[in-house]
Amino acid sequence: MYGFHGRLLHIDLSTGKSSWVDLEEARLRAFLGGIGLGASLLYDYAPAGVDPFSPANPLIFTSAPLVGTGLTTTAKFAVVTKSPLTGFIADSLSSSHFALELKRIGLDALVISGRAASMAYIFIQDQRVEIRDAIHLRGRSPVETESLIRSELDAPTVRVATIGKAGENKVRFATISNEGRHAGRGGVGAVMGSKNLKAIALRGDHATEVADPAGVETIAEALRERSLSSLTDKYRKIGTVANLAVFNRLGTLPTRNFQQSTFDHADALSGETLTENNFSRRHGCAACTIQCERLFKALNGEEQRLEYETLFALGPLCGIENPDVVLRAAQLCDHYGMDTISAGGTLAWAMECGEKGSLTEAQKLGLRFGQAEGVFAAIAAIAERDGIGALLAEGSRRAAREVGGDTLYWAMHVKGLELPGYEPRSLKTMALGLAVSPRGACHNRSGAYEADFSGAVDRLRAGPGRGVLVADSEDFAAVLDSLIVCKFLRKCFSDFYSEAAELLSKVSGWNCSSTELRRIGERIHTVKKLFNIREGWQPEHDWLPERLLCETLPTGVARGIGLTSRDLKDMIREYYKAREWDENGFLPEHKLKELGISS
Amino acid sequence: MNDHRTIVDATAVILAGGKSSRMGRPKALLPFDNEPLIAHIVRGLRKMFAEAVVVAAPEQEIPILPAVLVRDEVAYQGPVSGIYHGLKASTKQVCFVTSCDAPFLNLQLIAHLLSQISDCDVVVPYWQERFQPLHAVYRRSVLPFLKEQLDRGELRPIFLYDKVRTRKVDGDQIRRFDPDGLSFLNMNSPSDYDAALARWKNQGRIETETASLPASISVLDSVYVTVELFGVARLLAKTKEVSLSLAHDATLADVFSALAEKLPVLVGRIINSDGLVGGYACNINGLNFVRAPGAKVNSGDKIFILSADAGG
Repeated sequence: MYGFHGRLLHIDLSTGKSSWVDLEEARLRAFLGGIGLGASLLYDYAPAGVDPFSPANPLIFTSAPLVGTGLTTTAKFAVVTKSPLTGFIADSLSSSHFALELKRIGLDALVISGRAASMAYIFIQDQRVEIRDAIHLRGRSPVETESLIRSELDAPTVRVATIGKAGENKVRFATISNEGRHAGRGGVGAVMGSKNLKAIALRGDHATEVADPAGVETIAEALRERSLSSLTDKYRKIGTVANLAVFNRLGTLPTRNFQQSTFDHADALSGETLTENNFSRRHGCAACTIQCERLFKALNGEEQRLEYETLFALGPLCGIENPDVVLRAAQLCDHYGMDTISAGGTLAWAMECGEKGSLTEAQKLGLRFGQAEGVFAAIAAIAERDGIGALLAEGSRRAAREVGGDTLYWAMHVKGLELPGYEPRSLKTMALGLAVSPRGACHNRSGAYEADFSGAVDRLRAGPGRGVLVADSEDFAAVLDSLIVCKFLRKCFSDFYSEAAELLSKVSGWNCSSTELRRIGERIHTVKKLFNIREGWQPEHDWLPERLLCETLPTGVARGIGLTSRDLKDMIREYYKAREWDENGFLPEHKLKELGISS
Repeated sequence: MNDHRTIVDATAVILAGGKSSRMGRPKALLPFDNEPLIAHIVRGLRKMFAEAVVVAAPEQEIPILPAVLVRDEVAYQGPVSGIYHGLKASTKQVCFVTSCDAPFLNLQLIAHLLSQISDCDVVVPYWQERFQPLHAVYRRSVLPFLKEQLDRGELRPIFLYDKVRTRKVDGDQIRRFDPDGLSFLNMNSPSDYDAALARWKNQGRIETETASLPASISVLDSVYVTVELFGVARLLAKTKEVSLSLAHDATLADVFSALAEKLPVLVGRIINSDGLVGGYACNINGLNFVRAPGAKVNSGDKIFILSADAGG
């Protein structure tokens, strides 16, 4: 088999046993790798209704056909499990050398189930699986853990993915981290912690064979060249932090827990200002020509990676205007291993609760909009599950349900996943995308905002046509995330499906058409939805926080703009219709049959 | 007046001769930003105007100012008389008229009003259901009409608007420059004054800087737009925004062309002969994403140049 290894490794931490399992080619062709393969395996390996923290909940790492082929931006892997934050699918991507090493192990997926008797880590060296004691690593940060494991294995080139203290303490938005990158959303790190699994260390030497090496290299060279054109200027020259200033000006920068969509101090936090004042170094994933990462100088002299989502969530969303505070807060989140978006969203909820007198513990901790000390203290308390930190470690939805009253209204999440930095009221296509996404409020599994920023639709007004746009965007993302190609390369394709089908054909030896690839995207998205339905999805889960439907935006160019329940309902109905689902969003048998999915 | 920079060949007329009865002391002399209010206003306007005229009441105390001082013939005759005497004293054909009790002037808005005078006699903002005659642009050609009003005792300026070519500037246009309409905030009572001082203290200088204004404003036929730069464009240009003065029928292509001339560093990297290079997008007023080079632009438009990719 070309592009794949045709097998997975299953490790049961409860028994300590591992087994190699053949992966049938039909499954790989139907779901590719990455998110698609992970979703397919999750459906099969997770018992229906499994508790996310149960040993039976599988934690699945997947590789993908383009990984290891030398194509730019493809050094990525997926982590898929049942989310402890949403109760639905969690499908996260991370990248760099760990991704390449995972494939070099000679597998397409690593499925981990069970629970180790005490803190352990897995070391896989080619065919050999070793479960090693990790009690001495308890409490260590991801960076420390990676370094310590390399030292004790005396293997400087071993690649490690690990959790921090947040994962150990089952903070429901804990990450799995490797080389400063994170499988960030949905609490995959908490599932890893629930298995008493501190880390996974890899060293392999299986090369990836492709069917047509010369053909792949020709395409790879063309993509490398395009990846260095003006189409990727933003990522290469500033990084994603560039979004902040322009989102502010367009009235789509969520601020102070979505009470506003502009931030008075946006200039101080803008990517342009950070670049001028705090820039330290440009960096990137393995095998990537774009090198989008930006490391900035923090006050303590250390370098800190910063992406737009982190900047928004720990900045304007919490009313923080000082870049040094945001950098320090981001450092703390990385140190403990927690998702900065959910951390910021949960802190912003607590700040509003505190300021409005509904959560005195938040006030005592100093959690107020714009206050640095409260943020620093709360992040540490969350990781330790100390005091109010135990409540906040549950995420905004569970915390609000616990506190009750008005605080439910201030919890800004979809399906339990905190919203990213795209204001739905002034991005109506994105509003629909966020409402219906299987993983909750997610800006990665669809790029619905693209339509809003294209001028093809009026971003400020709901209207017909959004359903198809969102469905197309989800399918497109599903294919990108399963091949895997980084989304930051997406604009470099002039006809994505045709070019990607040709690429996949040259890698795999299959004769894959653009039509087949489109159908694969739809199939992947559908199986995620199918999993969610099995785990209790109901139509009311495809909805937005009430604040977004009750309050109009008070400032900026979008002042006075809101989103009505009726408009949202209409868009959702149109989306289900575009997907050929039933009017309540359930999957008709004929659709599953058409896509070749058996439930 | 070290910061004086003439960019418009027009006169600023400041009416200072009101009674100040509710204030209880002369408004023109109220301390504001460490100087008498009238001096504060004249100083702000002289950053932009070739000439300033202060119209005071007979015998009214006025400090020495970089302005021509004229006096109403009759005290407290009302704004029509003040406008009349101010326009009469002006050596320019176009005058911006304001009062001495509105401290939050917005030069960007004033520039926009001036740019609208080309084919009419009066440009007057309409804010919160009311004309704002004391924040308006008048041609000297309306002098006979004002004289006629004075003779008839028609002391409200709005009577003029039906008689001459008047352009009403609506709230949407105003908000592009002055979202809260602070330009029209005047002080009539001690509490208004206290509130204005507090606002000034909190917000500081509001839109009174000239840096973002065009080098010159033609009061005859120009379209005045501001280009706001984001991301790579901002880093390359080392500035956040640039103001451009264009012909009255200007299109987006003209904007890009003028921008290329003003900021050559953007040529080839952000702007090319077709407009914007791949990967960049243009939005007008934060509302519409536009690529067509033939799209018409209007005075007061804010044109954003940003990355076409909003991924994060």
